[in-house]
Amino acid sequence: MTDHRLDEILGTTGRDPGCDAGLDFIDEYCDLVAHGEPVPERFADFLTHLANCRACREDTESLLAAVREQEDRSAR
Amino acid sequence: MKFDSDPNLTTDWPRELRGEGAPRDDAIARLHALLVRVARGEAVRRRASLPARGAEEVDDLCVQAANDALMAILSKLDTYRGAARFTTWACKFVIFEVSTRLRRYAWRERSVELDETIWDRLSDQAPPALKRIEDDQLIQALHCAVEAHLTERQRLIFQSVTMDDVPIDVLAERLGTTRGAIYKTLHDARAKLRRALTDAGYADQRND
Repeated sequence: MTDHRLDEILGTTGRDPGCDAGLDFIDEYCDLVAHGEPVPERFADFLTHLANCRACREDTESLLAAVREQEDRSAR
Repeated sequence: MKFDSDPNLTTDWPRELRGEGAPRDDAIARLHALLVRVARGEAVRRRASLPARGAEEVDDLCVQAANDALMAILSKLDTYRGAARFTTWACKFVIFEVSTRLRRYAWRERSVELDETIWDRLSDQAPPALKRIEDDQLIQALHCAVEAHLTERQRLIFQSVTMDDVPIDVLAERLGTTRGAIYKTLHDARAKLRRALTDAGYADQRND
């Protein structure tokens, strides 16, 4: 069993605000990433949650894809 | 900015949605169209996890998700602070609604139950012999910790989510609760297991 697999099972350490609090950060985070902006330190707990929660990680990837798709449409 | 040409990105959505009459109705219709498009895009992204048949059902789920997201957006309009683009803020609601529905749809004919054979499948396929012995010992310690320290509900949630890849939204539906509540249970179970493994001499670095 790899350390990565063990992290998936046991979760990574660090402050984890949970799914509901994570939803408050997801939009701002996706805008920053989509525009190539640096992600501030205050997102550290949110990023810990993404590492630990597959559903929120997937939703973040989905929102990021939607933001990028919208900007691609706009650029056409 | 390269995206100035898209009216969805330049509209003053909060002002228009707080307005009255036809302009407000028009803004709501345009926002709903955006939400439906994003929901359908998400269904396309997730098509590998969805049954090959059932395109009509999936589209219904997308429209339902857009409808519920629109209601949530209108009721929470006063909480929008402008930290993200309005469209990004709005789209998070439809992503949450549609991804939850699609995960549940993909699992609708599968049961969720404690599967003790999962422990036999946890090792890597063919690790080196020494690593395999370490793996077996760690897995055995983890299994013992699960049996000794977790409640029945914690075991079901921990094993289903982390070992059997059951989506957390599916568990929430089957257990009659929310994603957040399931995650809290999982978080507490993981903390118990990390402490138990540390006490047993494993994974010293995995404390909270």
